[in-house]
Amino acid sequence: MPSKAKSKIIQDACLLRLFSFTVQRANDTIGVPGSKVVYRQYASLFFVCEVGEEENELMTLEVIHRYVEVLDKFFGNVCELDLIFDFQKAYTILDELIVAGELAESNRRTVLTSAEATDIWERDEILRDALQDSFIS
Amino acid sequence: MATSMRGLTQFIADIRGARVRDLEEKRINKEMANIRKKFKGSCLDIRNLFPQLTEQIYLDGNLDGYQKKKYVAKIIFTYILGYKVDVGHMEAVNLISSPKYSEKQIGYLAVTLLMHENSDFLRLVVNSIRKDLDGNNEIDNCLALHAIANVGGSEMAEALAEDVHRLLISPTSQTFVKKKAALTLLRLYRKHPDVIPAAEWALRIVSIMDDADLGVVICVTSLVMALAQDHLDAYAVCYTKAVDRLHRLVIEHEYSATYAYYKVPSPWLQVKLLRLLQYYPPSEDPTIRSVLHQVLQTIMNNSAEPTRNVQHNNAQHAVLFEAIGLAIHLDSASPLVGTAAVLLARFISSKETNVRYLGLDTMAHLAARAESLEPIKRHQSTIILSLRDKDISVRRRALDLLYSMCDVDNSELIVGELLRYLRVADYALREEMVLKIAILTEKYASSYKWYVDTILQLISAAGDHVGDEVWYRVVQIVTNTEDLQEYAAKVVFEHLKAPSTHESLVKVGGYILGEYGHLIANEPGYSPMEQFQVLHTKSQFCIASTRSLLLSTYIKWVNVFPEIKPQLVNIFERYRHVLDAELQQRACEFYALASRPDDDELLQNVCEEMPPFPPRVSALLGRLNMKHGDTEDKRTWVHGGKEANLDRDIVKRKADGSFAAVGDGQDIMGSLAGLEISASSAEAGGAIPDPVISTKPPRLTTGPNMDRWFDKLTYTAEGVLYEDDQVQIGVKSRYQGHLGQLAVYIGNKVSAPLTSFTTRIHVSDPDALSVTFAKMPPSTIGPRTQTQQLLHIECKQMFTTPPILSVSYLAGSHQTLSIRLPIVVTKFFEHVKLGAADFFERWKLIGGPPREDQAIFSIELNSAGQLDLAKHRQVVSGHRLNLLDDIDPNPNNLVAAGVLHMSVEGKVGCLLRLEPNREAKLCRLTLRSTSETVATEVRKLVQQPLKTDS
Repeated sequence: MPSKAKSKIIQDACLLRLFSFTVQRANDTIGVPGSKVVYRQYASLFFVCEVGEEENELMTLEVIHRYVEVLDKFFGNVCELDLIFDFQKAYTILDELIVAGELAESNRRTVLTSAEATDIWERDEILRDALQDSFIS
Repeated sequence: MATSMRGLTQFIADIRGARVRDLEEKRINKEMANIRKKFKGSCLDIRNLFPQLTEQIYLDGNLDGYQKKKYVAKIIFTYILGYKVDVGHMEAVNLISSPKYSEKQIGYLAVTLLMHENSDFLRLVVNSIRKDLDGNNEIDNCLALHAIANVGGSEMAEALAEDVHRLLISPTSQTFVKKKAALTLLRLYRKHPDVIPAAEWALRIVSIMDDADLGVVICVTSLVMALAQDHLDAYAVCYTKAVDRLHRLVIEHEYSATYAYYKVPSPWLQVKLLRLLQYYPPSEDPTIRSVLHQVLQTIMNNSAEPTRNVQHNNAQHAVLFEAIGLAIHLDSASPLVGTAAVLLARFISSKETNVRYLGLDTMAHLAARAESLEPIKRHQSTIILSLRDKDISVRRRALDLLYSMCDVDNSELIVGELLRYLRVADYALREEMVLKIAILTEKYASSYKWYVDTILQLISAAGDHVGDEVWYRVVQIVTNTEDLQEYAAKVVFEHLKAPSTHESLVKVGGYILGEYGHLIANEPGYSPMEQFQVLHTKSQFCIASTRSLLLSTYIKWVNVFPEIKPQLVNIFERYRHVLDAELQQRACEFYALASRPDDDELLQNVCEEMPPFPPRVSALLGRLNMKHGDTEDKRTWVHGGKEANLDRDIVKRKADGSFAAVGDGQDIMGSLAGLEISASSAEAGGAIPDPVISTKPPRLTTGPNMDRWFDKLTYTAEGVLYEDDQVQIGVKSRYQGHLGQLAVYIGNKVSAPLTSFTTRIHVSDPDALSVTFAKMPPSTIGPRTQTQQLLHIECKQMFTTPPILSVSYLAGSHQTLSIRLPIVVTKFFEHVKLGAADFFERWKLIGGPPREDQAIFSIELNSAGQLDLAKHRQVVSGHRLNLLDDIDPNPNNLVAAGVLHMSVEGKVGCLLRLEPNREAKLCRLTLRSTSETVATEVRKLVQQPLKTDS
């Protein structure tokens, strides 16, 4: 567990280093020429966004928060493990929330419903397959 | 979870269990080898088919969908961990066309993660993506849209933009598809703007901003923001929509509770709308202005609410800062901005770093725009204190703000503070600081003495960060300013006395003492020998280029200080043998020059005093701008006072000829008056285009009755203007003098509501005629109901083109109507009473052409075969000319007079004579007026309804 957290932090640090050599650590915003890095920390997890110069920093912070809220509702008290083992779900939810780098939906319930819909859809399919298999055999 | 794949879970668990990185790598290598083997089952080397592909592609043969999915998922996970993967691309491509959602989804995920926008593999998925886009399954639609939104490049833009656009505007699209389509289109536009006919799609796209679903509105607003920046004119209609939506969100609280984010109504949307409005010049329309004012006021008042938690606080501040930005953009001298300045003052001493940071940033915006820096200067001490904030971002903002707020009054103080801070400033900040200090010092120097002192202090304090531009500039200024030369020489001498000096200082010293050392040589302590010793002791620590500069100094001294010539010649002598070619050459040449006989004039001529430099622009600003250049794209302002923003506007305008007249506000336009800008913008300078008015007139809607309806309304006060199966438009008008009111009644004739209802007025010459809506038009017209919109009209000058009303709405598809409004120049006539004698006197006084306009045209007789005198009277009096009876002896003839009222050009009289002839079915119409254009126009207008249709 701690090793995992460590690697995550290392990864984030790599990410930050990658953005620029003149990274300035700010409380929540890091100034990089041409773009800004906005991040928010939840326990040992960092959520990092690189946004354009003109993007509203505070709203970006809240996009992160919204994402975490939805993850929390979806997984039920989300923790790092959920994100690791169900990474494709985390991506699905992210796609529901952010498209082309812009917030697509700010309504938590809508995002959740769509994410769950794909989940149900998938489960149905598996059930259907299983039934089919059992008939064939 | 039902969907989990056991193999994948095991794989992840194994990796997590690995204690050291080596074990992790081992496990991954093992897995990758296994996968490669599985995929290789039926490997076909297709490098021959795709020579551009360097890696091996594996075609799967005997793996079923589940296995493929599982292996691709493992590859994805490996990739996320940061390992390089070189297999699975082809399997991912295959999975995309799987009929099963779970497989398709993993396939798409792999494509978006493993591939980048220029990846050759993407060509292979374009067709699958198109199939999913065109399919009826919305979930597939969305997967395809996500993929494009993540990796779409210019190739995809070319192939798929149409399909994405169709999904966006199709009335059958679900809201969640529309949202994604809007943002996907945004991605494609950003990647390849040429393939999107942005102007053509403008009205249709903007109309979606009225969608009932706020999620859709947010997405479309993002899209419109990007498109409108490049096509301000075509998207001008979004201005009204944005104001209307803000009004509904902020004032009317018209939104569903789920779109409130910690009690703030959809802050994302608010922020976007407020930003969008900053791309446009402030609206001239009083209605829009007042609504906007109300919105901004409310937002600022709301900030007084106590904050509940971090989220609420962030959301509220985000909106507030954007609102302040807009308020500054609209009018930097308004009371709203006064309120904002007070709020900002509170923010810059806030406990929260983010708020301090944004407070300083917004204050810099204010300083960059405001007429008066007073409200900011009041907080100067707090801002200076922020230079010592614990957070570097805040320090940086404080630096920017100090730079922007500096003027003649506070320059010494601010520069002094900056100099003091420079010694302890972060390394990363220093170079920028040095440039800024140098610029401020030069720009606001009250005395040359202060200028020289400051720059030399600057060089000694942060020599390493002082670019060559800085000391070049000092030399230029000293050379061009005679009063300064003696003082500069003294000060630089004092600075050089310090035990360690920076190389740049030695260079400045070398140059200045060489040129002007003789001015101080007679004073005690500054003798030639002392000057020489001070400078020469530094030379051994300097690099070759500095030394060669010093050699030049010495040769100048040979000329003016004969007493130290032996020492100088001795140095040349020694330098003749150094290895550096440049130094050696100089030394040899100077040695030869110095060894010539004393009465030789060559040396004197060579060492003639430098002439003043031609005036040139400081290179420093160029350097600073270059530093910011790449980020300027979307910014609505730059750091550094009003002038900096002014310069930038000019540059922008020159670059953007098509929309030359749009600056960033009236104040700027005003102060531009004296400047010579490109012809197009100078010409348009007087009239800032109102966003309601686009520069190109819309194409008129045509129809069988259009002209008849219009002609009739030119001489009547009310009636039908337009009618079709869906809508009926009627008008009612009232005029007095140069003012008028026109009510437009728009009726919905179908049993469904007309949504996204938009009305615009296009006036071809806003200087002559002003037409504005009395209030914001509603965006929906219910089934079988009617809406009324009142227009205020003012005639300022003579005009000939009637304004055009553009109406667009969604009723199944998107409809646009463009109709001429019956606002013609005769509407502004007032009656005048004239007796026969008066009339004839004036008639003669005006005389014949060019102030007379006459036409002979055929007319129709009424059913009885007689002249339709009643109609003639109706038309002439309908054009608001006073019929004067008993003047013309022939009762069939009509004589009339009127006075045109204009608020700018004043009054113009006009006389009319109409002589119909029954036998010839012809009519002669004569107009005389003191203004030729009025006579011609009135003649045309009166003739139009009378003549027979040809």
